[in-house]
Amino acid sequence: MVTKREETQLKELENQVDNGGGGAWEYLCLVRKLKVRRSEKVLKHGSSILNDPGKRSALGPDEWTLYEQVAVAAMDCQCLDVAQNCIKVLQRKFPDSKRVGRLEALLLEANGLWGEAEEAYAILLEDNPLDQAIHKRRVAITKALGKPSLAIELLSKYLELFMADHAAWRELAEIYLSLQMYKQAAFCYEELILSQPTVPLYHLAYADVLYTIGGLENLISARKYYAATIDLTGGKNTRALLGICLCASAISQLSKGRNKEDRDATAAAPELHSLAAAAIEKEYKQKAPAKLQLISSALRSLKL
Amino acid sequence: MGELKYEISQNAYIKLVLHSLRHKTAAVNGVLVGRISPKDDGLVEISDSVPLFHSNLALLPPLEISLIMIEEHYVAQGLSIVGYFHANERFDDVELCGVAKNIGDHISRYFPQAPILLLNNKKLEAVTKGKDRSPVMQLCVKDASKNWRVVGADGGSKLLLKEPSANVVLSDYISSEKWKDVTDVDDHLDDVTKDWLNPGLFN
Repeated sequence: MVTKREETQLKELENQVDNGGGGAWEYLCLVRKLKVRRSEKVLKHGSSILNDPGKRSALGPDEWTLYEQVAVAAMDCQCLDVAQNCIKVLQRKFPDSKRVGRLEALLLEANGLWGEAEEAYAILLEDNPLDQAIHKRRVAITKALGKPSLAIELLSKYLELFMADHAAWRELAEIYLSLQMYKQAAFCYEELILSQPTVPLYHLAYADVLYTIGGLENLISARKYYAATIDLTGGKNTRALLGICLCASAISQLSKGRNKEDRDATAAAPELHSLAAAAIEKEYKQKAPAKLQLISSALRSLKL
Repeated sequence: MGELKYEISQNAYIKLVLHSLRHKTAAVNGVLVGRISPKDDGLVEISDSVPLFHSNLALLPPLEISLIMIEEHYVAQGLSIVGYFHANERFDDVELCGVAKNIGDHISRYFPQAPILLLNNKKLEAVTKGKDRSPVMQLCVKDASKNWRVVGADGGSKLLLKEPSANVVLSDYISSEKWKDVTDVDDHLDDVTKDWLNPGLFN
């Protein structure tokens, strides 16, 4: 997960390098640090450093890290011969290395040789049963084979061992969502909120899932989590503001026909709805005035 | 449902394909916009499309808000949402998933003739080699028992490209990496300055 500031920094560096302004190595380091997927750029700029003996030797011991980074990027771009070459270099430098072994198995994956890749990982796991990256590659293979239930099984087992791996919880949530297993996805977000309560993304995702499951209780809960997101983002998250409006509309529809006390309880904070709507309109007025009429009309239709 | 013809305009068609190319590693979806032809009520004209999401397609709130905004915008032009587009995450996955069917069901409540168009990656690959003139999407319609099924080549209903050279244009755009310029509702919700109408995309 990347913050807006990090994303901007990355984009600036990317533009600079793309336009011949230098800074390729800094860009590649940033991509590694942020763990983002920019395989085409990494392949292009990484290769240009590796193919230049002067630039390569200037890297010192970081040269090998770059070979590894370019190998993975090349596989992502289906440039398997480039990947193979990088791996050969690393094999020569680090014979019998487990880390290089992982790259070799990854290349098998990239070639679609799932059985062989699975075997390679199994062998690597014998000596390193707690290698997180390998466990996750096994999940990736099940996803590539279109076996989401198996992916869920493997990932759940993984999380029993490594329950602090937030990225894995998010991945599991997303697999559940793709199968429309909303309650299970909700559980994952609950775990994430418990361990990282100040990350707005999890509150937002949880709210979205609760709203999707539906029912009055869940809608009231969803509203709370949208509110938490607004709190954590200083009111700047459009999705959360819209979520409040959607909740208000859905809650009022569901509470029609209930007695007055029930309705009052659920209508707690009617100002929340108007405040959210006003905040959305203000944002559109400032940043997307051409769409202001559209969003105002949409918000009005939610008030009915 | 009787046999219907669905005619998709070049812009609507290309926009959706470019959107899937922009997010190669994810499932994406979009809506089809158009109307029943005033001259032939067996023909559905798909004149435009709106790319929706490239993450968490199964969540309701972003979908609900999108459909409200999109309907609101196009009603002024006498158009409405007339169908759904879906591209699966994996290359060789040609199944209609639950999410696609649910959204298709929802849209067909308002427009009973609504189809689902499913991206066919093998056909898309062939387009860049300049061979095929037929759409790179599979047409899916609801049968008499209200189940979604893929329409085969011998099926009654048909999906047609309005402009016969649409694949040639698509191929050009792919070479020039035009897919980088496509904006969807997901992008808009993260940053409202990004316009899901994609004005100027094909200028």
